[in-house]
This record gives sequence, C-alpha cells and structure tokens, in this order.
Amino acid sequence: MSKLIFIFLFLAFIPLLCTSFTPERPSDRRVLVLLDDFAVKSSHSLFFNSLKSRGFDLHFHLADDPKIALQRYGQYLYDALILFSPTVERFGGSVDAAAILDFVDSGHDLIVAADTNASDLIREIATECGVDFDEDPAAMVVDHSGYAASATEGDHTLIASDDFIKSDVILGSKKIEAPILFQGIGHSLNPTNRLVLKALSASPSAFSANPKSKLTSPPSLTGSSISLVSVIQARNNARILVSGSLSMFSNRFFRSGVQKAGSPTKHEKSGNEQFFTELSKWVFHERGHLKALQLQHHKVGESSEPSIYRINDDLEFSVEIFEWSGTSWEPYVADDVQVQFYMMSPYVLKTLSTNGKGRYFTSFKVPDVYGVFQFKVEYEKLGYTSLSLSKQIPVRPFRHNEYERFIPAAYPYYGAAFSMMAGFFVFTAVHLYNK
Amino acid sequence: MARSSSKDAQDLFRALWSAYAATPTNLKIIDLYVMFAVFTALIQVVYIALVGSFPFNSFLSGVLSCVGTAVLAVCLRIQVNKENKEFKDLAPERAFADFVLCNLVLHLVIMNFLG
Repeated sequence: MSKLIFIFLFLAFIPLLCTSFTPERPSDRRVLVLLDDFAVKSSHSLFFNSLKSRGFDLHFHLADDPKIALQRYGQYLYDALILFSPTVERFGGSVDAAAILDFVDSGHDLIVAADTNASDLIREIATECGVDFDEDPAAMVVDHSGYAASATEGDHTLIASDDFIKSDVILGSKKIEAPILFQGIGHSLNPTNRLVLKALSASPSAFSANPKSKLTSPPSLTGSSISLVSVIQARNNARILVSGSLSMFSNRFFRSGVQKAGSPTKHEKSGNEQFFTELSKWVFHERGHLKALQLQHHKVGESSEPSIYRINDDLEFSVEIFEWSGTSWEPYVADDVQVQFYMMSPYVLKTLSTNGKGRYFTSFKVPDVYGVFQFKVEYEKLGYTSLSLSKQIPVRPFRHNEYERFIPAAYPYYGAAFSMMAGFFVFTAVHLYNK
Repeated sequence: MARSSSKDAQDLFRALWSAYAATPTNLKIIDLYVMFAVFTALIQVVYIALVGSFPFNSFLSGVLSCVGTAVLAVCLRIQVNKENKEFKDLAPERAFADFVLCNLVLHLVIMNFLG
C-alpha cells in the first residue's frame, strides 16, 4: 500500500520535476569540424576527445567535401564550427566565406586555425573577424629569446609564450603554469575592431618573417603587437577563436614538455592542453554566459509594479542575473552591475548590491523631471556575454491636489494677504462712518 | 552753513506738516491706510530676502495684494479729493463703490494665487 502511494506521489510530481530544469542551455551541442585531411582527426585527438567528453557532438568532414552544408531549410544544422583546414582554397557544397560569416552573424561560434601557407579563404574569414594575418605567405613568428628550448629546432620558430589575457572567465580560474608552445603565423588585430582581444600574445622580442631567408627589410609585425591566439565576442554574443597555428592543438604539442629558453624550470607538459580546454569552454559558451531574469521595480513599501511613477517617488529596483556553468545556471556575483534611470541621458546611475544568490537590488528617488524613462542595465564585462535590458516607465508630475497646502515658510504671505482684507473692512467702516 | 541747512530742513518739514494738517480727515485716513499697505509689502520683501524665494507664488500674491490695495486707495483718494477739479462731476459715493468692487476682484485673484 505504501509503495502504491509512493508511486502515485512520484507520478503526481513528475510535471513539477520536469519544469524544475531550465530548458535554456546556451552551450553548443552539435559541432561541425572541417579538416584538410582525416589524419588531423587522429593527430589532434586529445583536443577532440576533450570536447567529446564534455558532451559535444562532433561531425568530421573534409573541407572540400561536396556534401557539407551549414543549414538546411533555413535551419542551422550545427551550433559551432571548427575550421582545422588552413590550406583549403574552396569549401565544398554550399559553404563559402559569406556562409560562414552568416553563421557567426546568427550567433554561432567559430574556431579558426591557420598555419603557414594559410589559404586566402581562411585569411579572408579571419580578416572579417578583425584579425589580419601576416601577408607574407612564408612568414612565421620567430623569437630568438622566447623560443622553446629543444634539441632539434634550430630556427627558433617553436616559441614558448606565457603572455596570456588576464581574464579568469576566458582562461578559467586555475592559473596556467606552463608556457604555451606555438609554431605558426602571427597576426595583428584590426585597430578599428574593439571586440577582438589577444588571448595569447608574442613576447616583445618576437617578429614575423620567413625563417629560411635572410631578413633584408624590417619585419611588418614585431613584438607584443603580434597576437598568436585571438578571441572575439561579437555583439550578438557569438564567440570566435582565431589561432595562427594548427599544430598547437595537436597531440604532439599537448603532450610535449616545454622549457623556455633561458628559464631553468622545465615543465613536463606544455600548457596547450589546459589553455585550449579552457578557451574552448569559453568559446562554446560553457562559461561566461549571463542571463537576466525578473527585472522588477516598485515603490518603497509596496510590492506590485506600478504602471506610472510620480516625480520624487522612492522606488526599489531588482534584477536577477545568473551565469551558465556548463551544466546549470549559477548565481552571478559581481559588484559592478549598474542600473540607469534613463531618458535621453541617465538621470540616475546606481551600482546594484547583490545578495550573492543572483539577486541585484537598489533603491533610489525618481528625479524631479517628468517624461518617459527607462530602467536600463547595460552590462559589458570582458569575457562575459553582454546584458542589455531595458524597461520603459512613465513619470508624471504632481497632480494639482498633491502639492502641499499650507507651507510654514509662506505664513507671512498668507498673513499679509489676510491682513489686507481685514484692513479693507476696517477702512471701509471708518471711511463710511467718518462723514 | 550745516547748521543753517538743518534749520532749513526743519522749517521745510514744519511747513509741510502744517500744510498737511489742513487736509480733510477722510483723506488722512486713506493716507494711513496706504502707509499700512506699503509697510506690509516692505516687511514681506525683507522676509523673502532672509528666507529665500521658495513659495514664490505666495510671495507674489502677498506683495501684490499690498501693492494693489495701496494703488486702489490712492485712486480713491484722487477721486474723493474735493480740491481735485478733474473728478468734480463724480460723486464720492460712486468713487467708493468703484473702490469696493475693485478690491473684491483683487482679493478674489489674490486668494486664488496664494496657495
């Protein structure tokens, strides 16, 4: 009997259990991987396996496979695209540079790896993302002081870099101890594009040139303006990773030890695996994805949301912000979320306090100006998706019966007016009876 | 020199005062009434200089009621003055009725503007 009741209760609570999961999952699921040849699938298996183990559904295709398509019947078949095909001149099927940029424009993520002899197609895609590869096709990044010490390499093109972007949300909270091995071409960031960031920069002694020929003219890219790995978060929150090296994703680089020239410490394992695992978590929206809920406001002492405020009302504002952790929505905790009370320009700008459980709140007085205002939360923080919330609310002036009736400061004026009236009566009486 | 000028001023004021003493009583009453209104207006101007202009509409109505009262009283004084030949055809009763009507209108406006 008790078993029966238990089963009945379980069935009764199934709808509740289902709704307790949020249906919204911002992480990518289906990933299309385009390769130059299938050997990359095994030579880079550590990177792909780390993605698979995190639940990604990888679809491998040759880049010139005529059957590949990004969308069918207007629906995208994939959430993200990995281009590990640096030399491809033309994609197969209906895919071209414009199709890939449309894919990004519709909010999907992209990882592009170039390499020496990168094709014009890959360069064009990178340029559209704000990344300009060195135009010399034979150029590589050379660093005569920051190279990775190894027995075989003599031209100092295998460099060990540890100049990371300083952002826990992009690279994870765990510090990357070992330097990153890199062998490939450098790029510079388009200065007019403010969305693109250097995730890994070259050292100040690096330059980009053909290592096999003698350097006759000054190299076009030098020093720490060379970016080795760049990340972009577009305004639609699509994320892009551009790397100048395909081999830095490879098993050989993931596993090899690294010792930076001139440094006594030899690391058993390069930082590449941790770097790209963390970076791919960020690119595929397993981290740094915010959502806002429950934007609420009401007068102090009330709980329901009014349809209009009066000037000089005291109000309370609150909003809930959560961060996607890859598996669930966790409360987002920060001390720099601000709300604006906005009409053409912010009349009130207040930093919100948080209770640590995702709720942000503040209270302020409506300014002494009436019109149609907006509550605005514009939150753009490095590495996080941007939040842009607004809610319109009109503000009215005092009604005629809401003004103060008797103001103490005005009593002398009242007195004067009434004494003039009394004086009029007295004068009238005296004037009439004086005759 | 100074002594003689102060003596002249004294003589002047004495002459003025004796001339004014000949004024009919009803005109003296009007003058007193005008003095009262002007004095009340001055008090309010001093008050607003000290306290600030916050209920400015109240200040305006207070002062304008005094000024209006003074102006209407002066008009009445002109019309009921026997020596003023300009209004010799106008009965003093008629002048007083005008004065009362104008005062009623003035105080109606003042009451509306006061609060």
